[in-house]
Amino acid sequence: MTRVAAIDWAMLETAIALGVTPIAATELIAFRDKAVEPAIPPSVADLGLRGSPNYEYLHALKPDLILSSPFYARQEAALEAIAPVYSLPFYVRGEPPYEKALNAVSELGRKLELGEQAEQLLAWQAARIGLMREKLATAAKTPVYIVNIGDARHFRAFGADSMFGDIAARLGLVNAWTDRSRFTFAAPVPLEALAARPEAAIIIVSDIPVEARTSLRDSMIWQSLEPVRKSRVFQIGNVNPYGGICAAMRFASLVTPALVQPREQR
Amino acid sequence: MTAMARYAIVAVALFLALGLQLHNATALLPFAAWPAWPFDPAAMDTNQIILAYAVLPRGAVAILAGAALGLTGFLFQQVLRNPIADASTLGLSSGAQLFIVAATLFLPSAIDGSREMVALAGAATATAIVFFLGWRRNFEPVTMVVSGLLVGVTASAVAAALTLSQGEYLMSLVTWNGGSLSQQDWSTAERLAVELGIALVASFFLMRPLRLLALGDTAARSLGVGVTAIRLAVAAIGIFLAAGVSAKLGLIGFVGLAAPHLAKAVGIRNESPLMVASTAAGALLLWLCDGLVQFAAQAAAEQFPTGAVTALLGGPLLLWLLPKIRHAKRPAHAQLHLVRKSSPAAAATLVLIVGIALAASLLVGRSEGVWHWLSLTEFEQFLPMRWPRLLAACAAGGLLALAGAMLQRLTSNEMASPEVLGVSGGAGIGFAMALTFAASPTQWQMLAGAGAGAVTATLLVLAYAQRRHLEPDRLLLAGVATSSLGTAILGALLAIGDQRAWQILNWLGGTASTATESSAVLLAALAVATLAVALTFVRWLTLLPLGNAANVALGMPQRSARVLIVASAAVATAAASLLVGPLSFVGLMGPHLARQSGFVRTREHLLASFAIGAALMVLADFGARNLAFPYELPLGLFAALVGAPYLMWQIGWRR
Repeated sequence: MTRVAAIDWAMLETAIALGVTPIAATELIAFRDKAVEPAIPPSVADLGLRGSPNYEYLHALKPDLILSSPFYARQEAALEAIAPVYSLPFYVRGEPPYEKALNAVSELGRKLELGEQAEQLLAWQAARIGLMREKLATAAKTPVYIVNIGDARHFRAFGADSMFGDIAARLGLVNAWTDRSRFTFAAPVPLEALAARPEAAIIIVSDIPVEARTSLRDSMIWQSLEPVRKSRVFQIGNVNPYGGICAAMRFASLVTPALVQPREQR
Repeated sequence: MTAMARYAIVAVALFLALGLQLHNATALLPFAAWPAWPFDPAAMDTNQIILAYAVLPRGAVAILAGAALGLTGFLFQQVLRNPIADASTLGLSSGAQLFIVAATLFLPSAIDGSREMVALAGAATATAIVFFLGWRRNFEPVTMVVSGLLVGVTASAVAAALTLSQGEYLMSLVTWNGGSLSQQDWSTAERLAVELGIALVASFFLMRPLRLLALGDTAARSLGVGVTAIRLAVAAIGIFLAAGVSAKLGLIGFVGLAAPHLAKAVGIRNESPLMVASTAAGALLLWLCDGLVQFAAQAAAEQFPTGAVTALLGGPLLLWLLPKIRHAKRPAHAQLHLVRKSSPAAAATLVLIVGIALAASLLVGRSEGVWHWLSLTEFEQFLPMRWPRLLAACAAGGLLALAGAMLQRLTSNEMASPEVLGVSGGAGIGFAMALTFAASPTQWQMLAGAGAGAVTATLLVLAYAQRRHLEPDRLLLAGVATSSLGTAILGALLAIGDQRAWQILNWLGGTASTATESSAVLLAALAVATLAVALTFVRWLTLLPLGNAANVALGMPQRSARVLIVASAAVATAAASLLVGPLSFVGLMGPHLARQSGFVRTREHLLASFAIGAALMVLADFGARNLAFPYELPLGLFAALVGAPYLMWQIGWRR
């Protein structure tokens, strides 16, 4: 079996989805917290930060292949010195990423000689998306904002060029946010931007920061938003916004029951 | 310009700000549909609530916060007799933000209610440090502002390291929010109004002593003014105001710097009217800026935090203000009286320290958390990975310290360092440009971008200082202006927010691990070449600090000497900061440590600074690799963390 190490998180997911457990990957503490799925077995060594992985540790683990993405172009030369690097693009600015994540499955499958597994995985994925799309048929009439709360006054928005937006479209949902994604550390969009489509529902991806919870609940603007008044706000667990096929699937399978169930969550 | 014309301009600005406010409000809701006063949220629809609790309070907050910052700027500029003092140049706002970041990380639930107190503590600490640093030089403007910049850099490095220690890597280098003014009720506006009112009343009581202080410390003392007490009281008001704004809105730079100058430009001269006018000018400026930001947001769907936009004003504003700065008469540098031969023992110790640092870095390893000497096989395996980064770290540290030594000698200012020259900021912008123009740039494209940015920044600083005969102080301030412009542009780019932002952040942290064999050798060759060039400057660097008259008498080609020295320092900094990022205090610490170890004469100082810088960077790399194994900390950040306590120790030791 090929000894694979993953620098890029989306590549890590893709490898695991193909049934390959890497010997090492990066920032596993954060991955288990922020991306949650797929579960990473304890046997996988943690190489440290994605931006500066521990090369000596990686070298000592003797990988045959290192999985990366163009995002880590700066590190590629150093990685090449340890083992061949296989790099696939997931996120290209302005381009919807889901197709690229699927493509990565077949490409990596071919590279690791797991073409059959890759095809099965893709077929299974397509079927599940289809199933969920059917389930959502009635709920899908409501447009959705897909957001992540930054602080009590600002949020991050996911548009059609994001993984979440792309998946939502494939589930038949209408994205209420028609602009491009706005995702940075300092959440850039003020809350009142959510008032543009009063008929929409709001999906909050990932936890609300502790220090914002009270202030958000007391916020006059937040409370005045139609979706909040009418209890059309749904919060789902942590999902990696720059993930691959697993993150896409995790998002879809968290959103579907949230929207289909009777509306009692706040 | 006649007084009439000046007032006309003020009227136009006021009209424009009001117009933008009305435009932004009516774009949301036609005037006819505006809710009646007093507001009753239960009877309003969403748009009415947004108007009443977001748009209108935002306007009020812009006016009040601008007024508070304008008053702060007036107070600091008056009490320090320093035309470029304000909450942002003195590092106050950075201190406040650092404390907020720390509290958010470690006591997230507590900060919900007590942001103000936390910010106040941070601002007070930062001010105390900057004032202590300035004390020794009698609050001389250049030293104050350079110290403010250093405290700001330190604060952001510490905040980043704290965030990193919590595993929030992606967030770690974004130190704080960019000063957004968006509101959701009237509470912020109310609190700002109360704070501003208190501060205005207190300032009026301090007006008379302030006026006397403008005559100079000695004159004021002879008239019975308690100079220190007044300074502290005025600083306290400034801190109170700036911390309040910082806690509520984040970092809003340079409004306070500009406001008093705008007031003066209108033709107001006396202190009391000037105070009121500065407050009003700040209010108008921030109101106008925020109106434009909101207008642009509607037109271009690109919402920048207002703080990031006002920060862009900072650099050009500082450059414009430079000619106004009182010229401090510099005594010939004190170190010239101290010339003594450095002992061979000190040199031997230095060689030994460098040797130990290198040996430890090459031979010690950690696996599964246990320290050990590398076995022969491990050594053979790791050597190809270790030597490039060690060599690169050595070269980068040496280059930075060498640049620092040259700059400190040239400007006779021990606070001068490559970080202050603006070169690293330029490199950062170049790097960001490379990311913008190439979808997935190669390493070489990024290097080329950063290099081009660094060269441009240097040319800008040189071109500016050139016109003023390259006086040391002008050079430093032009550097400070360029680096704050660089920081502001990077901040705005980070605020746009897409994947590029993460890559810029990665670079900001700096890491030696991207060094390849070829890039390490290249950097080392450059380091040796720069050292050789620097050694040919020895005579110039010895004589230039003697001052203008002496140099003219000695027939020194002053201008070309300065240009050459600054250019070499810039090349050295640019090359090094490609590797370690813009943060790091090696360029400040290396030359200091060298001087304190007795390497006082120019040639020895340069050589010793180079060696000490190299050793510091190697040690920093060792720490960065091993402290949180297998997690490698960003090298530049780690170096800055070592530098911060050093800076504090300097303050205590030098008193």
